[in-house]
Amino acid sequence: MTSPLVPGVPIRAEATVRALHGEGGVNHRLVLRVPGWPGFLAGQFVMLSPGPLGAAPRTDPLLPRPMAVYRERASDGDPEIEILFKRHGRGTALLADCRPGARVGLVGPLGRGFPAVAAPRALLVAGGTGIASVYELAARLLRRDASGVTVLLGARSAQDLMGEGDFAALGVRLEIATEDGSRGTRGLVTDLLEAALAQAAPAHVYACGPTAMMRRCAEIASARGAGCSVSLENPMACGFGVCLGCAAPLRSGAFALVCRDGPVFDASAVDWERMP
Amino acid sequence: MSEVAAVDARVELAGIPLRSPVLTASGTFGYGREFAPFLDLRRIGGFVAKSLTLEPRRGNPPPRIAEAPSGMLNAISLENVGVDAFVREKLPALPDGVVVIASIFETEIDRYAEVAKRLSGARLVAGLEVNASCPHVKSGGIEFGQNPAVLAGLVRAVRRATSLPLLVKLSPNVTDIGEMARVCEAEGADGLSLINSVQALEVDVERRRPVLSNVLGGLSGPAIRPIALRMVWQARRAVKLPICGMGGITSGDDAVKFLLCGATAVQVGTQNYLDPSAAGAVADGIESYCARHGFRRVADLIGALQTPGR
Repeated sequence: MTSPLVPGVPIRAEATVRALHGEGGVNHRLVLRVPGWPGFLAGQFVMLSPGPLGAAPRTDPLLPRPMAVYRERASDGDPEIEILFKRHGRGTALLADCRPGARVGLVGPLGRGFPAVAAPRALLVAGGTGIASVYELAARLLRRDASGVTVLLGARSAQDLMGEGDFAALGVRLEIATEDGSRGTRGLVTDLLEAALAQAAPAHVYACGPTAMMRRCAEIASARGAGCSVSLENPMACGFGVCLGCAAPLRSGAFALVCRDGPVFDASAVDWERMP
Repeated sequence: MSEVAAVDARVELAGIPLRSPVLTASGTFGYGREFAPFLDLRRIGGFVAKSLTLEPRRGNPPPRIAEAPSGMLNAISLENVGVDAFVREKLPALPDGVVVIASIFETEIDRYAEVAKRLSGARLVAGLEVNASCPHVKSGGIEFGQNPAVLAGLVRAVRRATSLPLLVKLSPNVTDIGEMARVCEAEGADGLSLINSVQALEVDVERRRPVLSNVLGGLSGPAIRPIALRMVWQARRAVKLPICGMGGITSGDDAVKFLLCGATAVQVGTQNYLDPSAAGAVADGIESYCARHGFRRVADLIGALQTPGR
């Protein structure tokens, strides 16, 4: 059922900021030019470190930030990638303050990405910054089978919603839920998932977002007998399996590394009780 | 870079000839193979592998890391594959010509000695680094490296167990690093590695909880570099043993500071997370420094710190 994945071989590169757009509220779209970019699998991520501030070496905040690769862009020069992110901490503030031409250290693409599961219907559920992880998955699933792909996006409010126009442009079946009802259905994106799974056709669920959202997706999918893949977002220092900081508890009792063994896991393998 | 090529970067650390004084630090470099896409391990002096125990060891529950000003805390609890799997599976994955220093760690002295025995004669293993920063069960949880008598017993036992060059990695969480250095020298160690991470605590103020599940962690990164330089300098004055210096090295100039304070070689640690090719850049940076300042040999920098009135 699951086809084997061949991860994109990661590189370490000095990327250059081509553009940085505010997209309402704390949402930002970063376009990076990446010499030697090898291409990526849907669900893979990069580690980004904004470079020195002018002539001053920058050591604070110290660690690079894991960011899903949203999509690649055609370019007349070096390949370009897009990152969608929210400014909500010191690392993302540094990224949000970058100007075109700024240098950003990049390691990636990393992780194993989403498995290609054969199922009549694919239900992609994403909330918050998790939306950035599923755009490429939607695009690739659509190319394979245009009829069976539905994307469910959730946000607190219309202003928090990222990427809606891009998903609409893909031509994917799109449903939206906001907690305050300012866009789409009022409520949680997991309510949309319950309704979608009430239909008879078997489905596979792909979820990325806050831990509570993914856990609820796993429960709903399990109750309906649907498979569920989740993309976890634990903090990490390196992204390639050496800091061991991103351990996620499995029901087997072992820990998996989100960066190396994931970030995508079979939801039934995750020990949600012990997730921090 | 012809002027760089003219610099002789070779040093000898505790009887181990190194093509460059730059190694990478245990716990930040996995088992070496993880860095294959980013760095030719034969371009640097060598690497210190993740600390090995007799049995495979599972780490702490998350959260295991926390960010701090110009640094990070970790409390992984020495998760590793165990010494036998390292010899059987990890070493064969490395190409010839890589210099491996195996870090060893245990909770009892006899078990340290057994790990050392199992590594003796293993392919590519050029030396051992004894991680003395583990809490010692029989001493009520104090680190081996915090009690001179306990540290002496540990070094003595491992020294008897192996003829490999023996580095002892000292804890910075002590009052007098010179005393610990003298104990290692008296018990037959071949060199010292310092410093390990600095015991620390970070708080999630919103939730009024420690960030780490383990409560306490080890602080590393540029935040600890001046502490590390101070301890290397103090240890240098206390003993004749060669010293491998580390703590927050990000560049060639940072590494040169350790050499000037008396280190024979250095280890790059936390910076490997930010830039997995960092050790190569540090090695190049040291040679550039030498070229810039007219040093033909990197070894001439060792202990060359000019202190006022001495």
